[in-house]
Amino acid sequence: MLAHIIQNLPQVLIDGLTLGVVYAVVAIGYTMVYGILELINFAHGDVFMTGAFIGAIVLFLLMGMGFLAALPAILVFIIVIVIAAIATGLLGVGIERVAYRPLRKKNAPKLIALITSIGISFVLEDLVRFIAELKTGNYIVTAPPMFNHKFTLNLHSALPFFNNATFQSSFLLVLIVTIIMLIALDLFVNKTKWGMAMRAVAQDRDTASLMTINVNRVISVTFFIGSALGGATGVLFMIQYGTIDPYIGFILGIKAFTAAVLGGIGNIRGAMFGGVMLGLLEMFAASNLSIITHGAMGAEYKDVFAFIILILVLIFKPEGLFGKAVVEKV
Amino acid sequence: MNILEVKHLTKEFGGLTATSDINMTIKKNSITAVIGPNGAGKTTFFNMITAVYHPTSGDILLNGKSLVGLKPHQVSQFGITRTFQNIRLFENMTVLENVLVGMHQNLKSHWIGTLLQLPHIRKIEENARTTAYDILNYVGLENYVNENAGNLAYGAQRRLEIGRAIAAKPKVLLLDEPAAGMNPKETERLTNLIHDMRTKLDVTIILIEHDMNLVMKISDSIYVLDHGELIASGKPNEIRNNKKVIEAYLGKGAVSNG
Amino acid sequence: MTSLSAFFEKIAQSKKNQIILFLTYVIVTGAGLFLLPDSTIAFLLLLFSILILYYLNLNLRAKWVTGIVILAVVVPFIASFSDSYQTYMEVGTLVGIYCAMALGLNIVVGFAGLLDLGFIAFFAVGAYTYAIFASDQASKFMPFGHYPLSGGTFWIFIFIAAIVAAIFGILLGVPVLRVRGDYLAIVTLGFGEIIRILLNNMDHPINITNGSMGIASITPPSFFGISIGSSNQFYYIAFAIFLLVIYVVRKLEYSKLGRAWKAVRDNEIAAQSMGIPLVKTKLAAFAIGASFSGMMGVVFAAKQMFVDATSFTYLESTMVLVMVILGGMGSVPGVILGAAVVIILRTQVLTNISNWLSAMSSNYGISIPPALSPEKMQLLIFGILLIVFALYRTQGLIPHKNRKVDVAKLKKESEQAALTRKKTASGGADS
Repeated sequence: MLAHIIQNLPQVLIDGLTLGVVYAVVAIGYTMVYGILELINFAHGDVFMTGAFIGAIVLFLLMGMGFLAALPAILVFIIVIVIAAIATGLLGVGIERVAYRPLRKKNAPKLIALITSIGISFVLEDLVRFIAELKTGNYIVTAPPMFNHKFTLNLHSALPFFNNATFQSSFLLVLIVTIIMLIALDLFVNKTKWGMAMRAVAQDRDTASLMTINVNRVISVTFFIGSALGGATGVLFMIQYGTIDPYIGFILGIKAFTAAVLGGIGNIRGAMFGGVMLGLLEMFAASNLSIITHGAMGAEYKDVFAFIILILVLIFKPEGLFGKAVVEKV
Repeated sequence: MNILEVKHLTKEFGGLTATSDINMTIKKNSITAVIGPNGAGKTTFFNMITAVYHPTSGDILLNGKSLVGLKPHQVSQFGITRTFQNIRLFENMTVLENVLVGMHQNLKSHWIGTLLQLPHIRKIEENARTTAYDILNYVGLENYVNENAGNLAYGAQRRLEIGRAIAAKPKVLLLDEPAAGMNPKETERLTNLIHDMRTKLDVTIILIEHDMNLVMKISDSIYVLDHGELIASGKPNEIRNNKKVIEAYLGKGAVSNG
Repeated sequence: MTSLSAFFEKIAQSKKNQIILFLTYVIVTGAGLFLLPDSTIAFLLLLFSILILYYLNLNLRAKWVTGIVILAVVVPFIASFSDSYQTYMEVGTLVGIYCAMALGLNIVVGFAGLLDLGFIAFFAVGAYTYAIFASDQASKFMPFGHYPLSGGTFWIFIFIAAIVAAIFGILLGVPVLRVRGDYLAIVTLGFGEIIRILLNNMDHPINITNGSMGIASITPPSFFGISIGSSNQFYYIAFAIFLLVIYVVRKLEYSKLGRAWKAVRDNEIAAQSMGIPLVKTKLAAFAIGASFSGMMGVVFAAKQMFVDATSFTYLESTMVLVMVILGGMGSVPGVILGAAVVIILRTQVLTNISNWLSAMSSNYGISIPPALSPEKMQLLIFGILLIVFALYRTQGLIPHKNRKVDVAKLKKESEQAALTRKKTASGGADS
């Protein structure tokens, strides 16, 4: 049994890392918004999904114009991801304006903001479904293949206890792009004026506004960045996995949220770590649960696995692995 | 006779010491004031007594029994209730219901009995409403019975909090800045109420308060906290002339200069 | 305009006028349904009379009796002349089922202030409890007993399911309630998904739920030997449970427990300081709310004669939440209205508009893309409803009102009590 698990390990690592970085970037969207507004933005998973669809639309348009064949693939990819990121970034800002800001002004209970975010999530899913179905007749969309050159990692000959692992060139793309995004974000938050303002607002909104920080603008910027990252990741997801539908954001969103909680909500580096860890754990579970339980539980339980992690973390270490405990002020 | 004893009570948040090594003995049926500058650890002290926070070390004894490690609702059942500095009413419930919630722990009306419409349960609830009305009458809110608690004026909210707290029939009542935000007339009324509660309800009162007139007028003894430490204790006129206390309030040098 | 409002005021003042007008309305809409038996609009207008009844200024008991008579006698009787009789009764049954569920969720969200996004799990638990034992599914893993159980056990299973669902409510609650505030929402969501995934996969190693195949040929209930199979019969079962649920909710709302729920909702810390045990109170909300869903789950399984995990998705959980938000959190009449509106919208209005649109497109050659079909637009419509109500009408269609006590009576009672106290005190001194 152990030998079998070890044999598959390289493939599990590659697949887990791919999924993990996707979780990581989406988790950042949750963690940034939660850090500032203490709101679980349920719509964020659907912003990710919308990003994937916008990417697909741009890709199809470019293909229709013949650019796909004419331009180098990497250039097409950059155009697609930048457009998708900007569009979803603006979408995020719009969501905040329409759905959350009026509630903040009214000082409404948090429960209400959660409910609007669920509403937004429904609306996004259905609008995307509607457009996709109207244009293609089917809401499940298959993206034109890109970066699908297959590589085989020939480990077996050097390390006989491992099986060979395979991956597509899109794996490298996902990995490189997410790492660039993560580093850029980290620099932005820690080194720039806006990043500092963001951290200040997260710490204490009232005091920050006394220090002449325009809190609403900081919140807008936060939503723009979080949503743009989410949308860009949607594009990566589309390229890596090929098919997308309007409902991919829901489950992936919850898992990304789990990752954010795992790393300590509000903590950006924690979210990155939590995402990668969750991706690895999930892939490990998917490929080995059946072996470990002698067939009693298969890969279909991998989601259960993720939820149980979420529940356990929230119960025993609600501040996450890298967060600080908060005491409610009485 | 001492009803409440506090021994070496210390609370640390992370590396920050909120209160350190506080000792107190409170006589039964007395009125005790805890004073000190902002951030001295007074509310933290209340929060530890009512188990909202757990002390890092030290002990709290009510009639000789330790309260440390209990849940907040158990402390209330043992006979300590409180009001809050930043008013915490049940804003979407009526004034009467707020008092009824205060009576919660003394009511024997289980919900299964309510569903079965057992006559004695109904009687208990009816009597509870009458008692709640009496309490509202006592704190001067008899004209707001059906009002939502959130709609009351500030001073009335403070009085409702007191009404709710005494509805639980406490042995010890903790009042956290009961006169904050009140005008002189309201404070006067509050002073009378506190006096009256002590005699009529046979309750021991501990209060945190910044209004020195009020404190000096009604307290039997005063404890002074500064930076989490107990710097003085004694009768009102002892505290009034205590150098350390004046320093804590006015800053070092105030004594020699003045 | 002024004359109109004066007219209404006049009606509101006179009870006799109200009764006459109301009866006229019931007769007219009833006759309408009788004459146009296939008109959904006539059916809905007749149902609308219940809402009018709610707002009439009459004696509470009289209103209850009238409402029950309309729903239990008038509506089924008139509808029985229609070809769509079973459809109407099916809608009625679904409204009853979802009303009870929404009232259950209302205890959790509206009274206790805990956002539960996995509420449908309890419905699933109830449905599967009956489905497993009322089909031959149980014989696949139970070492003893003969399955399927007879239809007569249905009535017992309503109570068993209530208890099983309540136990699940507690099992969920024990870990989940330690979670702070808004995290609760996501954890309950996860719990709902776990239950769904389990139901979908528990066909191996032991076949308990028959996995994604679902459980088919569930025994219909029987009532003194009469087999119950049609919607007009299930309508009465759902209606009876619905009445029971309303009774329980109304009683609990103003009980000691109900006050404890609202206190916890309004201010957790203050509630604890008043001697309310937090975990126990929240668990009671979860368990009682869940038990309503469990009972209706049994009715659902018996009515459908088939269950599988697809009926218990996240979407269904949020749909129940929409009912509560739309109607008004904490408001019992509001939640009932919310459930009725959502179900009627889903089953009647949207399908009718869809049919009408497709008829339009085939008759007049106007091509309306199938993607636009309102039936498919549910998510969009309910999403917009959630947003609009959360933003602009947080209290819902019928806002919650606190029950007011009769102050004059209280004052009298209080004076009387004081008098008796004095008497006994002086009596005690004399002796």
